[in-house]
Amino acid sequence: MRQIYFDNAATTFPKPPSVIEAVKLATERLGGNPGRGGHAFSKAASEAVYKTRALVAEFFNAEPENTVFTQNCTHALNLAIKGVVRPGDRMVISSFEHNSVSRPAYALMKRGVRTEVCEVGKSDDETLENLEGLLKGDVRCVVFTAASNVTGRISPIREIAELCRRRGICFIVDGAQACGVLPISLKDGMNFLCTAGHKGLYGPTGTGLLISDGAYPLSTVIEGGTGATSGELEQTGFMPERLESGTLNTVGIAGLGAGIRYVKTMGIKKIRAYEDELCGVFIEGLSKTDGIKIYRRGGGFAPIVSFNIESIPAPALSNALSLRGFALRGGLQCAYLAHRSLNTLPDGTVRFSPSVFSAERDVRLLCEELKKICKTGL
Amino acid sequence: MTYTLISVSSITYAMKAKTLLNNTGRYCEIERQERNSRVGCGYSLRIKDDPQTVCEILERAGIAIKGRQTVERGR
Repeated sequence: MRQIYFDNAATTFPKPPSVIEAVKLATERLGGNPGRGGHAFSKAASEAVYKTRALVAEFFNAEPENTVFTQNCTHALNLAIKGVVRPGDRMVISSFEHNSVSRPAYALMKRGVRTEVCEVGKSDDETLENLEGLLKGDVRCVVFTAASNVTGRISPIREIAELCRRRGICFIVDGAQACGVLPISLKDGMNFLCTAGHKGLYGPTGTGLLISDGAYPLSTVIEGGTGATSGELEQTGFMPERLESGTLNTVGIAGLGAGIRYVKTMGIKKIRAYEDELCGVFIEGLSKTDGIKIYRRGGGFAPIVSFNIESIPAPALSNALSLRGFALRGGLQCAYLAHRSLNTLPDGTVRFSPSVFSAERDVRLLCEELKKICKTGL
Repeated sequence: MTYTLISVSSITYAMKAKTLLNNTGRYCEIERQERNSRVGCGYSLRIKDDPQTVCEILERAGIAIKGRQTVERGR
Protein backbone atom coordinates (compact mmCIF):
# COMPACT_ATOMS: atom_id res chain seq x y z
CA MET A 1 0.00 0.00 0.00
CA ARG A 2 1.22 3.49 -0.84
CA GLN A 3 2.04 5.49 2.29
CA ILE A 4 1.23 9.20 2.30
CA TYR A 5 3.34 11.28 4.65
CA PHE A 6 1.75 14.15 6.59
CA ASP A 7 4.06 14.24 9.62
CA ASN A 8 6.39 16.97 8.40
CA ALA A 9 6.21 18.89 11.68
CA ALA A 10 8.19 15.98 13.16
CA THR A 11 10.61 15.63 10.23
CA THR A 12 10.19 16.68 6.64
CA PHE A 13 10.12 13.81 4.19
CA PRO A 14 11.06 13.33 1.44
CA LYS A 15 14.17 15.49 1.31
CA PRO A 16 15.04 17.51 -1.79
CA PRO A 17 17.35 15.67 -4.25
CA SER A 18 20.03 18.32 -3.65
CA VAL A 19 20.12 17.38 0.06
CA ILE A 20 20.49 13.68 -0.75
CA GLU A 21 23.29 14.52 -3.19
CA ALA A 22 25.07 16.76 -0.66
CA VAL A 23 24.94 14.02 1.98
CA LYS A 24 26.25 11.48 -0.51
CA LEU A 25 29.10 13.74 -1.65
CA ALA A 26 30.04 14.63 1.91
CA THR A 27 30.14 10.95 2.88
CA GLU A 28 32.32 10.17 -0.12
CA ARG A 29 34.65 13.16 0.01
CA LEU A 30 34.67 14.87 3.40
CA GLY A 31 36.29 12.18 5.51
CA GLY A 32 38.58 14.43 7.55
CA ASN A 33 37.80 15.85 10.96
CA PRO A 34 36.86 19.55 10.66
CA GLY A 35 39.00 21.97 12.68
CA ARG A 36 41.24 19.23 13.95
CA GLY A 37 44.32 19.26 11.75
CA GLY A 38 46.28 20.93 9.01
CA HIS A 39 46.05 18.24 6.33
CA ALA A 40 43.96 18.47 3.18
CA PHE A 41 41.18 16.17 4.45
CA SER A 42 40.63 18.26 7.58
CA LYS A 43 40.79 21.50 5.62
CA ALA A 44 38.18 20.31 3.12
CA ALA A 45 35.82 19.29 5.92
CA SER A 46 36.44 22.60 7.74
CA GLU A 47 35.64 24.55 4.60
CA ALA A 48 32.39 22.64 4.06
CA VAL A 49 31.34 23.22 7.66
CA TYR A 50 32.17 26.91 7.48
CA LYS A 51 30.34 27.28 4.18
CA THR A 52 27.12 26.07 5.85
CA ARG A 53 27.83 28.10 8.98
CA ALA A 54 28.15 31.28 6.92
CA LEU A 55 25.00 30.39 4.98
CA VAL A 56 23.01 29.83 8.19
CA ALA A 57 24.34 33.09 9.62
CA GLU A 58 23.27 35.01 6.53
CA PHE A 59 19.86 33.29 6.49
CA PHE A 60 19.12 34.22 10.12
CA ASN A 61 20.95 37.57 10.25
CA ALA A 62 23.66 36.38 12.62
CA GLU A 63 27.45 36.25 12.68
CA PRO A 64 29.07 32.92 11.68
CA GLU A 65 30.82 32.64 15.05
CA ASN A 66 27.46 32.94 16.84
CA THR A 67 26.03 30.07 14.81
CA VAL A 68 26.37 26.77 16.66
CA PHE A 69 25.66 23.36 15.14
CA THR A 70 23.72 21.06 17.43
CA GLN A 71 22.13 17.62 17.13
CA ASN A 72 18.58 18.97 17.02
CA CYS A 73 16.40 21.76 18.41
CA THR A 74 16.08 20.11 21.84
CA HIS A 75 19.87 20.12 22.15
CA ALA A 76 20.02 23.80 21.15
CA LEU A 77 17.28 24.78 23.63
CA ASN A 78 19.02 22.92 26.45
CA LEU A 79 22.30 24.67 25.69
CA ALA A 80 20.60 28.08 25.65
CA ILE A 81 18.32 27.66 28.68
CA LYS A 82 20.82 25.90 30.94
CA GLY A 83 23.59 28.21 29.74
CA VAL A 84 21.72 31.34 30.78
CA VAL A 85 19.70 30.42 33.88
CA ARG A 86 21.31 30.08 37.34
CA PRO A 87 19.90 28.67 40.60
CA GLY A 88 17.74 31.34 42.23
CA ASP A 89 16.70 32.86 38.87
CA ARG A 90 13.13 33.21 37.62
CA MET A 91 12.16 32.21 34.11
CA VAL A 92 8.92 32.39 32.16
CA ILE A 93 7.86 29.91 29.50
CA SER A 94 4.69 29.81 27.42
CA SER A 95 1.84 27.36 27.91
CA PHE A 96 2.40 26.08 24.37
CA GLU A 97 5.96 24.86 24.88
CA HIS A 98 7.27 21.55 23.65
CA ASN A 99 8.83 19.26 26.25
CA SER A 100 12.21 20.42 24.92
CA VAL A 101 11.54 23.60 26.91
CA SER A 102 9.22 22.46 29.69
CA ARG A 103 11.40 19.51 30.74
CA PRO A 104 14.65 21.52 31.04
CA ALA A 105 12.59 24.13 32.94
CA TYR A 106 11.24 21.41 35.24
CA ALA A 107 14.72 19.99 35.78
CA LEU A 108 15.99 23.49 36.62
CA MET A 109 13.15 23.95 39.13
CA LYS A 110 14.69 21.09 41.09
CA ARG A 111 17.93 23.11 41.15
CA GLY A 112 16.31 26.21 42.57
CA VAL A 113 15.06 27.99 39.44
CA ARG A 114 11.53 29.39 39.64
CA THR A 115 9.57 28.77 36.45
CA GLU A 116 6.26 30.40 35.66
CA VAL A 117 3.98 29.54 32.75
CA CYS A 118 2.48 32.30 30.62
CA GLU A 119 -0.90 31.24 29.27
CA VAL A 120 -1.22 31.74 25.51
CA GLY A 121 -4.41 33.79 25.10
CA LYS A 122 -7.19 33.76 22.55
CA SER A 123 -5.51 36.75 20.93
CA ASP A 124 -1.92 37.97 20.75
CA ASP A 125 -2.88 40.99 22.86
CA GLU A 126 -4.13 38.68 25.59
CA THR A 127 -0.90 36.65 25.45
CA LEU A 128 1.19 39.82 25.70
CA GLU A 129 -0.90 41.06 28.61
CA ASN A 130 -0.46 37.72 30.40
CA LEU A 131 3.28 37.88 29.81
CA GLU A 132 3.64 41.48 30.95
CA GLY A 133 1.96 40.52 34.22
CA LEU A 134 4.64 37.89 34.82
CA LEU A 135 7.59 40.13 34.00
CA LYS A 136 7.36 42.11 37.23
CA GLY A 137 10.45 41.73 39.39
CA ASP A 138 13.63 39.96 38.32
CA VAL A 139 13.18 37.55 35.44
CA ARG A 140 16.32 36.06 33.91
CA CYS A 141 14.80 34.71 30.72
CA VAL A 142 11.64 34.19 28.71
CA VAL A 143 11.24 31.18 26.41
CA PHE A 144 8.52 31.11 23.76
CA THR A 145 7.86 28.89 20.83
CA ALA A 146 7.62 30.86 17.58
CA ALA A 147 4.88 28.48 16.43
CA SER A 148 3.25 25.70 18.41
CA ASN A 149 4.14 22.18 17.32
CA VAL A 150 0.60 21.09 18.25
CA THR A 151 -1.66 23.70 16.70
CA GLY A 152 0.74 25.80 14.62
CA ARG A 153 -0.33 28.92 16.54
CA ILE A 154 2.19 31.69 15.86
CA SER A 155 3.48 33.70 18.83
CA PRO A 156 3.95 37.51 18.65
CA ILE A 157 7.73 37.15 18.77
CA ARG A 158 8.64 40.74 17.89
CA GLU A 159 6.38 42.18 20.58
CA ILE A 160 7.68 39.71 23.19
CA ALA A 161 11.26 40.56 22.19
CA GLU A 162 10.50 44.23 22.76
CA LEU A 163 9.01 43.54 26.20
CA CYS A 164 12.14 41.57 27.11
CA ARG A 165 14.57 44.08 25.63
CA ARG A 166 13.08 46.97 27.63
CA ARG A 167 13.51 44.98 30.85
CA GLY A 168 16.95 43.51 30.10
CA ILE A 169 15.54 39.95 30.00
CA CYS A 170 17.13 37.27 27.84
CA PHE A 171 14.68 36.01 25.20
CA ILE A 172 15.02 32.48 23.83
CA VAL A 173 12.88 31.34 20.91
CA ASP A 174 12.04 27.78 19.86
CA GLY A 175 11.92 28.12 16.08
CA ALA A 176 11.48 24.42 15.29
CA GLN A 177 8.11 24.86 13.53
CA ALA A 178 8.80 28.34 12.19
CA CYS A 179 12.20 28.25 10.48
CA GLY A 180 11.85 27.66 6.77
CA VAL A 181 8.13 28.51 6.86
CA LEU A 182 8.01 31.93 8.53
CA PRO A 183 10.47 34.78 7.89
CA ILE A 184 12.07 34.53 11.34
CA SER A 185 15.56 35.83 12.14
CA LEU A 186 17.56 37.66 14.80
CA LYS A 187 16.08 40.84 13.32
CA ASP A 188 12.94 39.92 15.28
CA GLY A 189 14.84 40.81 18.44
CA MET A 190 15.38 37.50 20.22
CA ASN A 191 18.76 36.76 21.84
CA PHE A 192 18.71 33.06 20.96
CA LEU A 193 16.97 31.31 18.11
CA CYS A 194 16.98 27.53 18.42
CA THR A 195 15.82 25.30 15.62
CA ALA A 196 15.96 21.89 14.03
CA GLY A 197 17.74 21.31 10.75
CA HIS A 198 15.52 18.39 9.74
CA LYS A 199 12.12 20.08 9.66
CA GLY A 200 11.37 23.20 7.59
CA LEU A 201 15.02 23.61 6.62
CA TYR A 202 14.91 20.19 4.87
CA GLY A 203 18.25 19.00 6.28
CA PRO A 204 18.97 15.46 7.50
CA THR A 205 18.02 14.26 10.99
CA GLY A 206 20.74 14.82 13.57
CA THR A 207 21.10 18.49 12.72
CA GLY A 208 20.05 21.54 14.71
CA LEU A 209 21.07 25.15 15.25
CA LEU A 210 21.64 27.51 18.14
CA ILE A 211 21.88 31.05 16.80
CA SER A 212 22.73 33.91 19.10
CA ASP A 213 23.13 37.67 18.95
CA GLY A 214 26.16 37.32 21.24
CA ALA A 215 24.64 39.40 24.06
CA TYR A 216 24.52 36.55 26.60
CA PRO A 217 27.63 34.40 27.06
CA LEU A 218 26.57 30.84 27.81
CA SER A 219 27.96 28.54 30.46
CA THR A 220 28.52 25.06 29.11
CA VAL A 221 26.55 21.85 29.50
CA ILE A 222 29.10 19.73 27.62
CA GLU A 223 32.87 20.22 27.68
CA GLY A 224 35.57 18.53 25.62
CA GLY A 225 37.79 18.75 22.57
CA THR A 226 37.17 21.77 20.39
CA GLY A 227 40.30 21.85 18.25
CA ALA A 228 41.24 25.11 20.00
CA THR A 229 42.98 26.09 23.27
CA SER A 230 43.84 22.40 23.70
CA GLY A 231 46.69 23.20 26.10
CA GLU A 232 44.26 24.32 28.80
CA LEU A 233 41.86 22.34 30.99
CA GLU A 234 39.42 25.24 30.99
CA GLN A 235 36.78 24.89 28.25
CA THR A 236 37.40 27.04 25.15
CA GLY A 237 35.99 30.50 25.84
CA PHE A 238 35.04 31.68 22.37
CA MET A 239 32.16 30.79 20.11
CA PRO A 240 31.15 28.64 18.37
CA GLU A 241 33.80 26.14 19.51
CA ARG A 242 32.85 26.69 23.17
CA LEU A 243 29.53 24.94 22.52
CA GLU A 244 30.70 22.47 19.88
CA SER A 245 32.80 19.95 21.80
CA GLY A 246 33.46 16.72 19.96
CA THR A 247 33.56 15.93 16.26
CA LEU A 248 30.97 17.78 14.22
CA ASN A 249 28.39 16.08 12.02
CA THR A 250 30.06 17.12 8.75
CA VAL A 251 27.77 14.99 6.60
CA GLY A 252 24.62 16.30 8.26
CA ILE A 253 25.87 19.88 8.15
CA ALA A 254 26.58 19.58 4.41
CA GLY A 255 23.03 18.26 3.94
CA LEU A 256 21.62 21.09 6.06
CA GLY A 257 23.43 23.60 3.87
CA ALA A 258 21.78 22.09 0.80
CA GLY A 259 18.41 22.17 2.58
CA ILE A 260 18.72 25.87 3.36
CA ARG A 261 19.78 26.62 -0.21
CA TYR A 262 16.66 24.74 -1.35
CA VAL A 263 14.46 26.84 0.96
CA LYS A 264 16.16 30.04 -0.25
CA THR A 265 15.60 29.07 -3.87
CA MET A 266 11.95 28.14 -3.31
CA GLY A 267 11.35 31.20 -1.13
CA ILE A 268 9.76 31.11 2.32
CA LYS A 269 6.73 33.09 1.14
CA LYS A 270 5.99 30.57 -1.60
CA ILE A 271 6.55 27.58 0.72
CA ARG A 272 4.21 28.97 3.35
CA ALA A 273 1.56 29.92 0.81
CA TYR A 274 1.54 26.40 -0.63
CA GLU A 275 1.43 24.65 2.75
CA ASP A 276 -1.24 27.07 4.03
CA GLU A 277 -3.27 26.24 0.95
CA LEU A 278 -3.05 22.52 1.76
CA CYS A 279 -4.12 23.21 5.35
CA GLY A 280 -7.03 25.20 3.93
CA VAL A 281 -8.01 22.25 1.70
CA PHE A 282 -7.85 19.96 4.73
CA ILE A 283 -9.94 22.21 7.00
CA GLU A 284 -12.45 23.00 4.25
CA GLY A 285 -12.67 19.32 3.32
CA LEU A 286 -13.78 18.46 6.85
CA SER A 287 -15.79 21.56 7.65
CA LYS A 288 -19.18 19.93 7.05
CA THR A 289 -18.33 16.67 8.76
CA ASP A 290 -20.00 16.05 12.10
CA GLY A 291 -17.76 14.88 14.90
CA ILE A 292 -14.53 16.56 13.76
CA LYS A 293 -12.98 19.11 16.08
CA ILE A 294 -10.19 21.33 14.76
CA TYR A 295 -7.96 23.16 17.24
CA ARG A 296 -7.54 26.60 15.73
CA ARG A 297 -8.52 29.75 17.55
CA GLY A 298 -7.14 33.30 17.46
CA GLY A 299 -3.91 34.58 15.89
CA GLY A 300 -2.04 33.25 12.86
CA PHE A 301 -0.95 29.68 12.22
CA ALA A 302 2.03 27.89 10.78
CA PRO A 303 0.98 25.07 8.39
CA ILE A 304 -0.07 22.59 11.07
CA VAL A 305 -3.62 21.43 11.87
CA SER A 306 -4.50 19.52 15.03
CA PHE A 307 -7.82 17.72 15.15
CA ASN A 308 -9.84 15.00 16.84
CA ILE A 309 -12.81 12.85 16.01
CA GLU A 310 -15.27 12.73 18.87
CA SER A 311 -15.19 9.46 20.83
CA ILE A 312 -12.02 8.17 19.11
CA PRO A 313 -8.78 8.64 21.06
CA ALA A 314 -6.10 10.38 18.98
CA PRO A 315 -3.53 7.52 19.18
CA ALA A 316 -6.18 5.02 17.99
CA LEU A 317 -7.17 7.31 15.13
CA SER A 318 -3.58 7.83 13.97
CA ASN A 319 -2.98 4.06 14.17
CA ALA A 320 -6.08 3.48 12.06
CA LEU A 321 -4.95 6.09 9.54
CA SER A 322 -1.54 4.46 9.36
CA LEU A 323 -3.19 1.13 8.43
CA ARG A 324 -5.05 3.02 5.68
CA GLY A 325 -1.78 4.50 4.35
CA PHE A 326 -1.67 7.93 6.00
CA ALA A 327 1.19 8.95 8.30
CA LEU A 328 0.00 11.52 10.85
CA ARG A 329 1.15 12.05 14.40
CA GLY A 330 -1.40 11.20 17.07
CA GLY A 331 -1.04 11.75 20.81
CA LEU A 332 0.69 14.46 22.81
CA GLN A 333 3.36 15.36 20.21
CA CYS A 334 5.86 15.72 23.13
CA ALA A 335 4.00 18.83 24.28
CA TYR A 336 2.37 18.17 27.67
CA LEU A 337 1.89 21.86 28.49
CA ALA A 338 0.22 22.64 25.16
CA HIS A 339 -2.27 19.80 25.59
CA ARG A 340 -2.92 20.81 29.19
CA SER A 341 -3.71 24.27 27.86
CA LEU A 342 -5.92 22.89 25.07
CA ASN A 343 -7.67 20.54 27.51
CA THR A 344 -6.77 17.55 25.33
CA LEU A 345 -5.02 15.39 27.94
CA PRO A 346 -4.48 12.45 28.14
CA ASP A 347 -4.92 11.37 24.51
CA GLY A 348 -3.96 14.58 22.74
CA THR A 349 -4.78 15.25 19.11
CA VAL A 350 -3.96 14.02 15.63
CA ARG A 351 -1.69 16.40 13.74
CA PHE A 352 -1.73 17.06 10.01
CA SER A 353 1.43 18.77 8.76
CA PRO A 354 2.24 19.04 5.05
CA SER A 355 5.47 20.01 3.30
CA VAL A 356 6.30 21.40 -0.13
CA PHE A 357 6.29 17.80 -1.38
CA SER A 358 2.72 17.11 -0.25
CA ALA A 359 0.04 16.89 -2.92
CA GLU A 360 -3.45 18.37 -2.82
CA ARG A 361 -5.01 15.14 -4.14
CA ASP A 362 -3.51 13.27 -1.17
CA VAL A 363 -5.00 15.81 1.25
CA ARG A 364 -8.41 15.21 -0.37
CA LEU A 365 -7.91 11.42 -0.05
CA LEU A 366 -7.18 11.90 3.66
CA CYS A 367 -10.34 13.98 4.09
CA GLU A 368 -12.40 11.25 2.42
CA GLU A 369 -10.91 8.62 4.72
CA LEU A 370 -11.63 10.72 7.80
CA LYS A 371 -15.21 11.28 6.66
CA LYS A 372 -15.63 7.50 6.31
CA ILE A 373 -14.26 6.98 9.83
CA CYS A 374 -16.61 9.64 11.19
CA LYS A 375 -19.54 7.86 9.62
CA THR A 376 -18.70 4.24 10.36
CA GLY A 377 -16.12 4.35 13.15
CA LEU A 378 -12.75 2.59 13.19
CA MET B 1 59.84 34.61 -0.73
CA THR B 2 58.40 36.56 2.16
CA TYR B 3 54.99 36.06 3.67
CA THR B 4 53.25 36.71 6.95
CA LEU B 5 51.46 34.31 9.24
CA ILE B 6 48.64 35.85 11.25
CA SER B 7 47.36 33.67 14.09
CA VAL B 8 43.69 33.67 15.00
CA SER B 9 41.88 31.86 17.78
CA SER B 10 40.02 29.14 15.89
CA ILE B 11 39.29 27.49 12.56
CA THR B 12 35.97 29.39 12.46
CA TYR B 13 37.72 32.75 12.74
CA ALA B 14 40.33 31.59 10.22
CA MET B 15 37.57 30.69 7.76
CA LYS B 16 35.74 33.95 8.41
CA ALA B 17 38.98 35.88 7.86
CA LYS B 18 39.77 33.99 4.67
CA THR B 19 36.30 34.71 3.26
CA LEU B 20 36.60 38.36 4.20
CA LEU B 21 40.05 38.77 2.64
CA ASN B 22 39.18 36.81 -0.50
CA ASN B 23 36.12 39.03 -0.94
CA THR B 24 38.40 42.08 -0.98
CA GLY B 25 40.70 40.47 -3.56
CA ARG B 26 43.43 39.44 -1.12
CA TYR B 27 44.90 35.97 -1.41
CA CYS B 28 45.05 34.02 1.81
CA GLU B 29 45.57 30.43 2.87
CA ILE B 30 44.79 28.75 6.17
CA GLU B 31 47.54 26.75 7.83
CA ARG B 32 47.74 24.72 11.00
CA GLN B 33 50.26 26.53 13.21
CA GLU B 34 53.70 24.89 13.13
CA ARG B 35 54.21 25.49 16.83
CA ASN B 36 51.56 25.61 19.47
CA SER B 37 51.02 28.73 21.49
CA ARG B 38 50.83 28.64 25.28
CA VAL B 39 47.16 27.66 25.10
CA GLY B 40 47.60 24.93 22.51
CA CYS B 41 46.95 24.32 18.83
CA GLY B 42 45.64 26.94 16.48
CA TYR B 43 45.38 28.19 12.93
CA SER B 44 47.12 30.93 10.98
CA LEU B 45 46.41 32.88 7.84
CA ARG B 46 49.23 32.92 5.35
CA ILE B 47 49.16 36.24 3.50
CA LYS B 48 51.33 38.11 1.01
CA ASP B 49 49.64 41.50 1.31
CA ASP B 50 50.68 44.24 3.68
CA PRO B 51 50.13 42.65 7.13
CA GLN B 52 49.25 45.94 8.80
CA THR B 53 46.38 46.54 6.37
CA VAL B 54 45.19 42.93 6.69
CA CYS B 55 45.25 43.08 10.49
CA GLU B 56 43.23 46.30 10.42
CA ILE B 57 40.62 44.69 8.14
CA LEU B 58 40.35 41.66 10.41
CA GLU B 59 40.14 43.65 13.62
CA ARG B 60 37.44 45.86 12.15
CA ALA B 61 35.45 42.66 11.52
CA GLY B 62 35.87 41.60 15.15
CA ILE B 63 38.51 38.94 14.47
CA ALA B 64 41.09 38.98 17.25
CA ILE B 65 44.72 38.67 16.12
CA LYS B 66 46.62 36.28 18.37
CA GLY B 67 50.04 36.74 16.78
CA ARG B 68 51.92 37.83 13.69
CA GLN B 69 55.10 36.44 12.20
CA THR B 70 57.00 37.34 9.06
CA VAL B 71 58.61 34.35 7.34
CA GLU B 72 61.40 34.53 4.78
CA ARG B 73 62.07 31.38 2.77
CA GLY B 74 64.43 30.52 -0.06
CA ARG B 75 67.29 32.90 0.80
